[in-house]
Amino acid sequence: MAKKKTEKAAATKYKPLTPAIIAEMEKIVGRQYVIHSDAEKLEPFSHDEISEKEYAHMPDCVVRPAAAQEIAEIMKLANREMIAVTPRGAGSGLSGGAVPVFGGIVLLCDRMNKVIEFDKANMTITVEPGLVTNEINEIVRPAGLFYAGYPMSLETCYVGGNVAENAGGGKAVKYGVTARYVLGLEVVTPKGDIVQLGGKLVKDVTGYDLIHLMVGSEGTLGIFTKIILKLMPLPKASVDLLVLFRTPDEAIAAVPEIMTKSGIIPTAIEFMDRLSAHAACKYLNETLDYKDAGAMLLITVDGPDEQQVMQQYEAIGEQCLAAKAIEVYVADNHTTSERVWKVRRNIAEAFKVQSPRQSLEDIVVPIASIPKMVAGLEELSRKHDCQIPCYGHAGDGNLHATPVMNPKWSDQQWHDRLEQILVDMYKLTASLGGTISGEHGIGHKRKKYMPLVCQAAFIDMMRAIKLALDPNCVLNPGKIFDC
Amino acid sequence: MRIIVPMKQVPETNAVRMDETTGTMIREGVEAIINPLDLYAIELAIRLREARGGEVVAVSMGPPKTISALKEAIAMGCDSAALISDRSFAGADTWATSYVISAAIRRIGDYQLIICGERATDGDTGQVGPGIAAWLDLPVASYIGKLESIDEKSCRVHRLVEDGYEILDVALPAVLTVVKEVADPRLPTLRGKQKAKKTDVPTWGPRELDVKPEYLGLEGSPTRVVKIFKPKVARQCQKFTATDEAGVKQAVEGLVKFLAGKDLI
Repeated sequence: MAKKKTEKAAATKYKPLTPAIIAEMEKIVGRQYVIHSDAEKLEPFSHDEISEKEYAHMPDCVVRPAAAQEIAEIMKLANREMIAVTPRGAGSGLSGGAVPVFGGIVLLCDRMNKVIEFDKANMTITVEPGLVTNEINEIVRPAGLFYAGYPMSLETCYVGGNVAENAGGGKAVKYGVTARYVLGLEVVTPKGDIVQLGGKLVKDVTGYDLIHLMVGSEGTLGIFTKIILKLMPLPKASVDLLVLFRTPDEAIAAVPEIMTKSGIIPTAIEFMDRLSAHAACKYLNETLDYKDAGAMLLITVDGPDEQQVMQQYEAIGEQCLAAKAIEVYVADNHTTSERVWKVRRNIAEAFKVQSPRQSLEDIVVPIASIPKMVAGLEELSRKHDCQIPCYGHAGDGNLHATPVMNPKWSDQQWHDRLEQILVDMYKLTASLGGTISGEHGIGHKRKKYMPLVCQAAFIDMMRAIKLALDPNCVLNPGKIFDC
Repeated sequence: MRIIVPMKQVPETNAVRMDETTGTMIREGVEAIINPLDLYAIELAIRLREARGGEVVAVSMGPPKTISALKEAIAMGCDSAALISDRSFAGADTWATSYVISAAIRRIGDYQLIICGERATDGDTGQVGPGIAAWLDLPVASYIGKLESIDEKSCRVHRLVEDGYEILDVALPAVLTVVKEVADPRLPTLRGKQKAKKTDVPTWGPRELDVKPEYLGLEGSPTRVVKIFKPKVARQCQKFTATDEAGVKQAVEGLVKFLAGKDLI
C-alpha cells in the first residue's frame, strides 16, 4: 500500500505532507481535529459506499474544521504547498467523489452540523453542510413544513454532500432534485476566499447563476459552509401503491399514462424488474402472491388531505388496472407502507447474498425509452452471462442497473467483463438519448466513460471553469475530468 | 360459516413516545393502525371463508375514528363490520370490554367461529379473547399457530406451548386466539379499498346492544390502572478485562466461575 502511494504521488504534481504542514493545520483547527500517521484511523476516509477496493485511496491526513475561516486558511495552505484537498460529508456517495485519489488532505465537515437559522416566515432553513439530511425534517415538521430533497440514504447522508452531488432520489418525479431547493450558499473557493451566493430569494437573476454551478460540482469548485434551503408545506397524507405487472414493458408503458391520463404527478414511481423484485421478496420472505409478476411499480402519492390523496390513488390505480396490471395493493399506514418500501430498499442487500461484488449503476434515459433500455439490459445480461437486476426511479428515467458478479468468475474475469458490460451499457444509454449518471455523480468511478456521452467541447468548457477558479487544481482533483 | 373477528385499533408502536412525568403514552399525532396480531386473525378468517364459503364480520370497540381500522379489515377481505362506540363504554377494562364485545357478537348471531389476535400491542393483556369466550360460554383455544382442519362441528388446531405444540380438537362454535405463525396477512387491494369505502359500517351503542349499564366503561370495570411506570432494567454486567497473557487466563477463569455461579454451564 505504502509503495503504491509513493509511486502515485511521484507521478503527480502534488507534494507530500510534511510535519511542518501538519503542525500548521493543527494550529488552524486544533490538534485533536487532525488525524494523521495512523492507517487504522485514516482507512474509513479512503473510500465511500462503493465496495470495490480499486476505487479506494488512503488520505495522508483528515482535518475536521469547524468554521468557514478555518477552511479558507486550509485552502490557502494547500495552494501554497501544492497539496490536494478532498472535501467529504458522510461518505455515503456512490461515485468516489469523496475519495482522496491523490492522497493529501481529506476535509471532513462532520463538525459543521448546526442549524444556523430556521426562518418560518420565509419558509427557509439555513444549515451547515455536516447536518444529517433527515434531521432537517425532524426540525421543520412541527411547523407544518418539509424539505423535499430525498436521497434514499437520508438517514446517514449530510446535506453538504447532497448539494455537492445534486442528489435526487425517490421523490424527484414530483419534487425535483436538490438543486431546486438551494436558494443560497456560502462557499469557500479553492483559493481560500469566502463568497456569499444567493440568499432567501425565490427570484434572482443578478449575474450568473453560480449557485447552480456549485450545486452538483462534486466538491471540485468550492466547499459549502452555509446552505440556505427552501422548504415546502408538509403533505398531510401519503399513500403507496404496489402494482404488479406481467412484463416490464407493460409496467413501463403504464408510467406516462399514469401521468397523462390521470393528470396527476405522483411523488414517486419506482420500478423493479422481475429479477430485482423476486430477489427482494424472497430475501424478505414476502408472502404476497408475486410469482406471476414480471415487474413491479411502487407509486407514492401525497397531498394536503386524505380525501384528495384517496381520489388520486384511486385514479392512478384504475389507470394501472386499465394498463393490464395484475394487482394493485394499497398501503396507507406505517405498517403496510414499510412492508412495500422494504421490497424496493432491500434489492441491493438481496443480491449481496448471491455475490458481494456488484456495480451499482445510475443510468438515466428519457422516460419513453425505458422499455428499450430494459430490453437492452436483458440482452446484455445474456451476452455477458451476468445478472443485471434493474430497478430505480421509473418516473424520471433514472435506472439503477446493477451488474452482479457471476459467482463462477475469478476477480480478474469480473474486472475485465465489468469493463465491457459498462461500455456496452453506456453506449446503449447514449444511443437512447440518455447519460451515465442521474444522481450519483461521476467522481473518478465514471470519469473515463465521459467521452461516451459528452462532447469534447463540453469537457473543455468545464475544465476552463475549473482552472479559472482553481488554477493549481488542489480542490478534489481527479474527479469528473482530468485538469 | 360465519366467522367473527373482534379487533382493536392501536397506536403505531414505532412512533410511541412516553410522557416522562405522567408515565402515560402520548397519543397525539401518533398514527392508529390495526393491532398487528389481529391482522393474523383477519387473514385466517378470510382464508377459511375463501376455502369454505360463508362470511367474515369484523367488530371493534373504540372511539369513532376506529372506523378506519374496520374499513381496512373490509379492504383486506372481510365482508362486513360493526363499530361498538359510545361514551359510556370509555375506560373499560378487559372484563367490561369483553362483556360489551360479547353482546355485539350475540347481536350478530349465528356464528361458528370467533377469531381474535392473541393480544393487543398497547394493553398487552391477552385477556379479551378468552373473556369473550367466558361471557358467551364457549370453548376457547389460545395461542393457536395453525388451524389444521375444520368441519361443521369442530376444528383441529395447533396450540403453541412452551415446549412445542398441543394439538386440540375443539367443538364449534368456539373462540380461537391466534399467534403470528397462523397466516401471513395480505395487503389490501385497490378493489378492496373501493369496496370498503362503499360499505356502510353501523355504530352500536348501549341502545343497540343488550347490556347492563352497571357493567359498562370505567365505572363498570372491576380493575383499575393505578400506575404506569417504566420497569427498571436490572441488567447486571460484569466485565472481565485482560491486558496480557496471564490476564486472559484470569479473565477466562473469572467468566467460568461467574457462569457456573448462575448455573449457566
